[in-house]
Amino acid sequence: MPNSTQSRESDTDIILDVRKLRTSFRITGEWHAAVRDISFTLRRNETLALVGESGCGKSVTALSVLGLVPLQNGRVEAERIQLGEHNLQGLSEEEMREIRGNRISMIFQEPMTALNPVLPIGHQVAETLLYHRKMNKEEANKTALELLDKVKIPSTSSRFKEYPHQFSGGMRQRVMIAMAIACKPDIILADEPTTALDVTTQSQILALLNELKQDSGMSLIFITHNLGVVASIADRVAVMYAGKIVEITDVNSLFAQPTHPYTEALMLSIPRSDRDIKTLHSISGQVPPIGRMPDGCSFAARCGLEQPICRKLDPTLQPIDVGLTHEVACWVRGDYNLTTIEERANG
Amino acid sequence: MADTLLRIENIKKFFHVKRGFPVPETVTVRAVDGVSFEVKRGRAFGVVGESGCGKSTLGRSLLRLIEPDSGSVTFDGQDVLGANPSKIRALRQRMQIIFQDPYSSLNPRKRIGAALAEPLLVQGLAYKRKAHERVLKLLDEVGLHSDAADRFPHEFSGGQRQRIGIARALTVGPELIVADEPVSALDVSIQAQILLLLRELQKSHNLSFVFISHDLGVVRFFCQDMAVMYLGRIVETGPIPRIFEDPLHPYTHILRDASPMPDPNQSKKFIHVDGEVPSAVNPPNGCHFHPRCPYAADICKKVSPDWHQVDTERGVACHLFDTGNTGHDYPKR
Amino acid sequence: MTSNTENIPMPKSNRALFLEQMKRTFRSNKLTGVGAAIFLLVVLAAIFAPLLSTHDHIDQNILNRLEGPSDQFLMGTDAYGRDIYSRLLHGARISLIIGGVAIISAMIIGTAIGIIAGYYGGRTDDVIMQFNDILLSFPTLILGLIVVAMLGPSMQNMIIAISLTSIPGFTRIARAPTIVIRERDFIEACRALGYRDWRIMVYHILPNVLSDVMVMASLWLATAIRTEASLSFIGLGVKPPEATWGGMIREGFENILDNPWLSIFPGLAILLVVFSLNLLGDGLRDAIDPKTRED
Repeated sequence: MPNSTQSRESDTDIILDVRKLRTSFRITGEWHAAVRDISFTLRRNETLALVGESGCGKSVTALSVLGLVPLQNGRVEAERIQLGEHNLQGLSEEEMREIRGNRISMIFQEPMTALNPVLPIGHQVAETLLYHRKMNKEEANKTALELLDKVKIPSTSSRFKEYPHQFSGGMRQRVMIAMAIACKPDIILADEPTTALDVTTQSQILALLNELKQDSGMSLIFITHNLGVVASIADRVAVMYAGKIVEITDVNSLFAQPTHPYTEALMLSIPRSDRDIKTLHSISGQVPPIGRMPDGCSFAARCGLEQPICRKLDPTLQPIDVGLTHEVACWVRGDYNLTTIEERANG
Repeated sequence: MADTLLRIENIKKFFHVKRGFPVPETVTVRAVDGVSFEVKRGRAFGVVGESGCGKSTLGRSLLRLIEPDSGSVTFDGQDVLGANPSKIRALRQRMQIIFQDPYSSLNPRKRIGAALAEPLLVQGLAYKRKAHERVLKLLDEVGLHSDAADRFPHEFSGGQRQRIGIARALTVGPELIVADEPVSALDVSIQAQILLLLRELQKSHNLSFVFISHDLGVVRFFCQDMAVMYLGRIVETGPIPRIFEDPLHPYTHILRDASPMPDPNQSKKFIHVDGEVPSAVNPPNGCHFHPRCPYAADICKKVSPDWHQVDTERGVACHLFDTGNTGHDYPKR
Repeated sequence: MTSNTENIPMPKSNRALFLEQMKRTFRSNKLTGVGAAIFLLVVLAAIFAPLLSTHDHIDQNILNRLEGPSDQFLMGTDAYGRDIYSRLLHGARISLIIGGVAIISAMIIGTAIGIIAGYYGGRTDDVIMQFNDILLSFPTLILGLIVVAMLGPSMQNMIIAISLTSIPGFTRIARAPTIVIRERDFIEACRALGYRDWRIMVYHILPNVLSDVMVMASLWLATAIRTEASLSFIGLGVKPPEATWGGMIREGFENILDNPWLSIFPGLAILLVVFSLNLLGDGLRDAIDPKTRED
């Protein structure tokens, strides 16, 4: 059941608190921000979807939280990245390794590249347990078998010894999920896990993830560009554009009342299989390149509703509803004290 | 009533692959296993299916980019598969293809203008200055600035490259375009741009399409008729709104219901789908779909279902339609 | 329609792009430039050999035989009193011409065969590659020996011999990317547009294969020059009294104790050319590295 409008009193429910995350990369000598001061929270047993098109920074966000951004040319800064009682920012690589695969797990789009082709899959699932839970080999193998069963891989005992190439895409994804849930993490980061799968397989994997989430009480951050997938599994949704969150709310409100012009345009550009659509909305222009982010709102040039202030100041996320759960970053559609803002802009 | 531009009958294409270690054995992949349908002039015909169903192989077989093993392809009354080399060259002006991957569909070392002018030269349609003029006109038609002609593919985004690919297909003035997942590799907003462009071009050039895709929403938007493929065979054909509203074949039904809808009220119930898409190397006996079909009967496991033309527009290959049943038992949406 | 490329600088002419690529190649590795410069000097020396020579390189001078370097004879004289320096310069011509022509012809033939084999695949590919492998498995020197022994020692036959030993390498280098490229959609588009096979191979596959081929060409030129020297050394090269580096080394051996310069200078010359070509070739190879490629 979706955890819809939660009020601020259940703050103890928050398992991940990210504040003002800024991840930059050095491209031909200069630093450019791929994720620009975003903030969000994740509650226990909640599925948060990060939606956006390619280049919006959704994958980078996940990597930043897990400390997987390569440091020669990458830089992660944040006011806070808090996992429960751990502050993830100050941790050493050694300490982060304790967190990864253990408290937070990640599953990826291409299971073939995430799995080691020369090791049997049972071994790979058991490995997590050996490392994090310090089990002995026997225990680990037994638990691994149970996990494979849990993700509904048929004939687990015989398939335990098989190699990744002997599995189909959907099966490999299940193996990856088994590895991810092995240590009963608080959070799973799923980066486009079903994008490369067939529709029917995707449906199975989504159902599986949902079931596992219900059983274990863990939280899920689901990264995707597919709004249909978002509608089927998310409790809350953050829409990202050019490195910023432009709208964040519960899933029902997002689809019932898409407020940010980008969200609205996106919804109107999706063809649907359940109804005849006369025409699709196509958003003119392109996402600004990372090195040439304009002043002001990065969507202004393509918006159609833009006002002078949009070109000068970048809007901040502001709630537009009484429950303070639906936030939008838009001068036009948001709920701001515009006079003071305009004074600030002009002064 | 539009006339038939393309008719394909019982196309088959098998691949023989050596697999296995240490002693390789040859296995037969029945990629396309007896496919027939018609495409009417000026209309878009969707071919829908999941990976391994053979739709890409089918698309290429139509154009003889892959030579089918048997069957017939008739384009505007002309036999395609039996045509000699010079007839084929002439036919190639009338049937073209656009590809899925914008990053491998253009020659990285050729400037766009040269790449677009080349077909004109090769087919003897225009030379030098006239060719250049045609190229600029095409670029304009697909929504690109004229300075694109001097640039290289790597200077363009995925969506723009798709536009170039479309321009290339249009250079020779085709009547039919085989579009192999033309928007699957693009972002949602770019996808909309390209679909709108294709629709516009369809109107202005009176184009017919064989539109291959796995995305039901895209097919519903763009096409007027469609066929559903599973493991090398067509399981159902029909006009578009009807097939979606009232699917006849159980697989069509599952495919439709499994496609996630951007509507939280509809999407929450996950349809129960059994099993996985089997490999085309060893398809199940009888009806290929029977291991996953909620309605499989004994006959389905042994005998491959015949084609039933349910009415003038719709057909299905399913034993449920065998015994004179007027309808079917599974619940409507 | 709007220019979607408004932020990208105007397209450049082919010449401008070429110069840019050259600049990038030489900037990334200083040694590449060194290699290129040295090789260029050698080429210039060979071209202007008659002008730069101090003596006629065939002129014998028995009175001055086996002298060390002096004011008159910059590098000394050989057993027949001939000026080593002048002979060295003319030897450069022989080496570069034989090596150059051999490699260029091998490049043309090998690339063509490689592309054909890669493009058609199947039996054609199998047969071609089997012949290729046979040729490849001959030690370079033995093959050259066989050819020259059969046809006789002359500049022409040397070129044939060395070319033959170089062809199989080019075939392989051209075949590999061909196999990759022929699977790309743009090749299928060419076929869909009715292009004939030769057009596809020449205008679409070859340009994408050329950079790989040319990089290896510069490295194998070094090998060709070494091979020529080796064959000349064992007496199968261009006949005397023409000066060849290999021949000069050989002649020097007979008098190695009296006057080592006879062998040292041509040896150094070969070393210099091969070394500079290797630097150049390595630099080119790094520059052509897929990381820096546009695709």
